[in-house]
Amino acid sequence: MIGLLARLGLAAVWLISGIIKAVDPRTTVVAVRAYQIFPESLVGTIAGILPFLEIALGVLLVIGLATRLTAVLSAVVLVAFIAGVISAAARGLSIDCGCFGGGGDVAAGQTAYTEEILRDLGFLALAVYLIVRPDTPLSVDRWVRRRTGQPA
Amino acid sequence: MSGPGLAGSVEGNHSVAQSNNRRTPSGKSGATSKGVQPKAGQSKTPQPKPAAAKGSPAAKKPAAGRQSVAAARRSSNGNNRTQLIIGAIAVVVIIAIIIFGLVLNKKETAVQGEGYGASTQSVATVAEGVVTVAKPGATPGKTIDVFEDALCPICSEFERQFGQQMNQAIDQGDLAVNYHMLNFLNPRSFSGDYSTRAAAALLCVAQEGGTQPGLYLNYHSALFSTDNQPAEGGSADLTNEQLAELATTTGAPASAASCITAGTNIAAATAAADASSAALQAATGRIATPTVLYNGAPVSTTVDWLSTLLGQ
Repeated sequence: MIGLLARLGLAAVWLISGIIKAVDPRTTVVAVRAYQIFPESLVGTIAGILPFLEIALGVLLVIGLATRLTAVLSAVVLVAFIAGVISAAARGLSIDCGCFGGGGDVAAGQTAYTEEILRDLGFLALAVYLIVRPDTPLSVDRWVRRRTGQPA
Repeated sequence: MSGPGLAGSVEGNHSVAQSNNRRTPSGKSGATSKGVQPKAGQSKTPQPKPAAAKGSPAAKKPAAGRQSVAAARRSSNGNNRTQLIIGAIAVVVIIAIIIFGLVLNKKETAVQGEGYGASTQSVATVAEGVVTVAKPGATPGKTIDVFEDALCPICSEFERQFGQQMNQAIDQGDLAVNYHMLNFLNPRSFSGDYSTRAAAALLCVAQEGGTQPGLYLNYHSALFSTDNQPAEGGSADLTNEQLAELATTTGAPASAASCITAGTNIAAATAAADASSAALQAATGRIATPTVLYNGAPVSTTVDWLSTLLGQ
């Protein structure tokens, strides 16, 4: 039951953040660029891929297909996000993380790095739980296992 | 399909397979460890317990035990193949969605009004440090407020994607734009006051050459072009002399250039930035650029925001 909640919770995170980013791609470009990590030639491509990677992870988690693989990929992406925010904070950038859309430069007093990192750590915990226990109710994984588990 | 008793025994084998999976990082390595397990059980101490538990009923009923082990082995092989197929399907789904996204993204970030080029009809007027750009004599149906900081890279992206489309709408008399130049990124500039000085330079161009068709928008575009815009946290930015030189290159009168060089409008630009920041904070609850307001409400600047606004 906890597994199902973790799976659907993480799915909701990815779908919401992915869709918000996907519908406002220019802001996403800006959000990616604001981190000043990637060269300009890569910013557009990363900003193009990221929202749809998030949506894909969300879709796979909703239906529970390849839950462990999806959870591992989720953890990798979340760790990258956390590293990005920490890096931005360490370099003294004044940016919004753009985690759920928006992003870019904000006034110096309006950054929220600690909250952003804590939030991502919470999502990371969901992913780690699913890596450890990927077998959850109402999943394609479990359905397939039941079907193929029956001897012919 | 199959009898409940059979399904039950398969279920039992499964729980063995699952507990194996849980100990190993992935279904794949779970498979190899299971193939090796009988040997591992003999050599390693932590393993014998489950092996013994499985072994002891088998010792009582040798035939049934052998059968269930064989069944477990068969179904585990099937599971491994199934796991691989499921993983492959997941990877294909991810790739397909990303490719779809890249195609969509190309459309969404495409330059609007591509080919229109510079504004040829617009004039600029200044009121309390805010520059209004419109076609003279026209009564534009829509007036928007655009909040920018000269150092803001997002504003450069905004200019790149929508600059020509805005030029066209303004030249056709459909749109008026109030430009609010903020300065909150000053600390991120090399000189520490680039945003303010660039805003002051824009005021000089508007005051001294605002009646010259297209001049203000051309200078505005030049400041935000990636060729001229300094980087945040960069090792250089434009001096007042360079800002004046750029204005002259764009076609501004000598009086505008001397106004920029002398820093005549620094105080006015600072006051205007403060007032505009307060207005932006009140309207959106935050200071972030670029922001477009229409009737005081923020406009989400998706690819078709301007055509949608003009079509309303």
